[in-house]
Amino acid sequence: MSFELPQEVEETRKRARDFALREFTKDLIDHYDETEEYPNEIRKKVFDSGFITIENPWNMLVAMEEFCRVDPGIGLSTLASVFGSEILLLYGTDEQKEKYLYPTLKGEKISAVAVTEPGAGSDVAGISSRLEKTDKGWILNGHKMFITNGTVADHYYLLARSTPPPSKEKRHHGLTLSIVERRWKGVNPVKLKGKLGMRATDTAEITFENVEVPNENIVGEEGKGFYIIMTFFNISRVYVAAQSVGTAQGILDLLVEYLSSKPSSFREMEYVQFALAEMSALIEAARNITYKAATKVFSFNPDPALTSMAKYYAAEIANQVANVAFKIVGMEASGTKLEKLYRDAKITEIWEGTSEIEKLVISRMILKRIQEAK
Amino acid sequence: MSSEEQKLLVSMIEQFAKTELENTAQKIEKEGISTDLRKRLAELGLLAATIPQSEGGSGIDRKSFSLILMALAKYSASVAYFTYLQNTLVNELLFKSQNKKEEIAKIASGEATGTLVHDLNLNFQHEIFVKGSDLYGSNNFVTLPDADIHLVLARSEGSSYLIHAKPASNAIRKPLGFRGLSFGNVNYKAQIGSDKIIFKDAENILQNHFFETGDQIAAIALGMSESAIEKAIEYSKERKAFESYLYEFQPISAVLIDMKGRIEELKKALMLTESVQEKITLKLNSLETARLASRIALQIHGGYGYLEDLGVERYYRDSMHFTMLASNYVKEMKALSKDVIAPDAFKI
Repeated sequence: MSFELPQEVEETRKRARDFALREFTKDLIDHYDETEEYPNEIRKKVFDSGFITIENPWNMLVAMEEFCRVDPGIGLSTLASVFGSEILLLYGTDEQKEKYLYPTLKGEKISAVAVTEPGAGSDVAGISSRLEKTDKGWILNGHKMFITNGTVADHYYLLARSTPPPSKEKRHHGLTLSIVERRWKGVNPVKLKGKLGMRATDTAEITFENVEVPNENIVGEEGKGFYIIMTFFNISRVYVAAQSVGTAQGILDLLVEYLSSKPSSFREMEYVQFALAEMSALIEAARNITYKAATKVFSFNPDPALTSMAKYYAAEIANQVANVAFKIVGMEASGTKLEKLYRDAKITEIWEGTSEIEKLVISRMILKRIQEAK
Repeated sequence: MSSEEQKLLVSMIEQFAKTELENTAQKIEKEGISTDLRKRLAELGLLAATIPQSEGGSGIDRKSFSLILMALAKYSASVAYFTYLQNTLVNELLFKSQNKKEEIAKIASGEATGTLVHDLNLNFQHEIFVKGSDLYGSNNFVTLPDADIHLVLARSEGSSYLIHAKPASNAIRKPLGFRGLSFGNVNYKAQIGSDKIIFKDAENILQNHFFETGDQIAAIALGMSESAIEKAIEYSKERKAFESYLYEFQPISAVLIDMKGRIEELKKALMLTESVQEKITLKLNSLETARLASRIALQIHGGYGYLEDLGVERYYRDSMHFTMLASNYVKEMKALSKDVIAPDAFKI
């Protein structure tokens, strides 16, 4: 058993680190945090530098970690500009790939995943957006919320109900995934401003009013959209775990930098040393569980319980580390990058499945395994 | 003031906070504490609350003042901390001097604002010195750097002073929390006369003052905690997931009940604390509770909590900012360990 990543991936990690340190300047980080603009110029540079590739997903994973180590807002915004591409890669037709996937992977288009609704966040099967069949195709009506890339994406991978659920227990049946273009008539995205952190990410509320969706834009089998989205979450949650690991590591870097700049008597205090040791151990554990989950996902043998463990644990650690670092640095953290990472870290416990949902996935999978083993 | 009068006053402030702060809290965060609001706080006697009536204050006892701070913090932590700053950190310190009645009166009436410039909650000393009659130096972490009256902790060889001074310049930046108050840095370069010295041995006096008023910090933290958890409970009764209300889910109810119980216990302790040791302990526990309560409230609100519209993310920022502003873990642990364990405990 080896815990070493392939040399190619380690080289990507180093390149990503150098790139982020060079391009994510303090001025730009502050600018996007203040204005809440989408960092499109940096996104283009990220593409040109070859960090966005799904040929070897490990490269994207380590880039996510290293980018978020420097700035989670810009880091995630740029890499998540291809958000949802795995959906088409796994379930898309050749025509869909040609029209939507390949231009996105070349940086010519931006994609988004539209699942969450105002009344249904974690409860994916509880969505109420509707796809109704017509002679020509489908008509979409609905309302989506907290959609990352919502106002900048060219197209959304959108989940909606196409047939009523057969029973209360089978609410996840009858959901269909489709590709909806942002510029189509009836699509109205509105940017949500005033987020606690991750303010460089574009977040939107979107309404869909009598939007015509052609048959060829249905992804996978009609009525099986829930399973497609769950498969996708198994992939995307690993990247959120990497985001958390990077954020936590970035916080530790800042703490070490702070301690190094102060008289040795401060860092020699054992309460500081113990905190540093505990933070380092927790981050290493979060990184290892993330890589283990990624190994399973990237080898087409996903373990949903392990993925949820990685997402939940790494998010927990990112926030814990942020709290401890803040307490040590105290008021001197005010107005610094540490303050920003504290704000950015919180989202990892909320998006792509809250920590509560991850815990439910973990426990249900464990109980299921016990039943199956009997 | 009789105990009945005290009760009536606290109840009146609670009513004021509910009617006049609840709907304006978000505006205060964006635009700051207006002159009108400052005058209103003055009318209510809050800006010199614990100063004796004979000296132009309201003569409110400390326990009642803590309850007042808690009531204010439930609706606006910025207003609560502003009140604490004006009354406790400025007017009470001015009151220690014999000839500062004029300044006390200005702050008490809302005509002027005051601030205390110190470094006792920083890991390292700021660089503000007094040499002969020269005061010079700067501090980057000042609440209300644009206040009219500055009380400045300055050091000289072997001693320290609290000096009434005017800054040469100040710069304001956006703080993590308490955004209703300005925050930033100040520079001093001035000639000061002996009449500007409020007292000597200022470092020890200020440190003791912070320890002794730790229960007031706890009161603000508990007001914030209570408000955050009440919002979360309210939301859990409105929001459904998986066709059930959030409060119906065991982990959510359990964490809310746990926090509610913890806050109630600390509120009881607030009324009983007498010794400095108890006050420091209460302060540390209350600040930790505020951070935890804000994290839980935000988590229960999910994505909506992450947006400023609902005012929940504010608790998350405020609770951490407040910890930095009002606490220094090493100094507080040293003070506690000294009394509880041994004089040289918590040294290495």
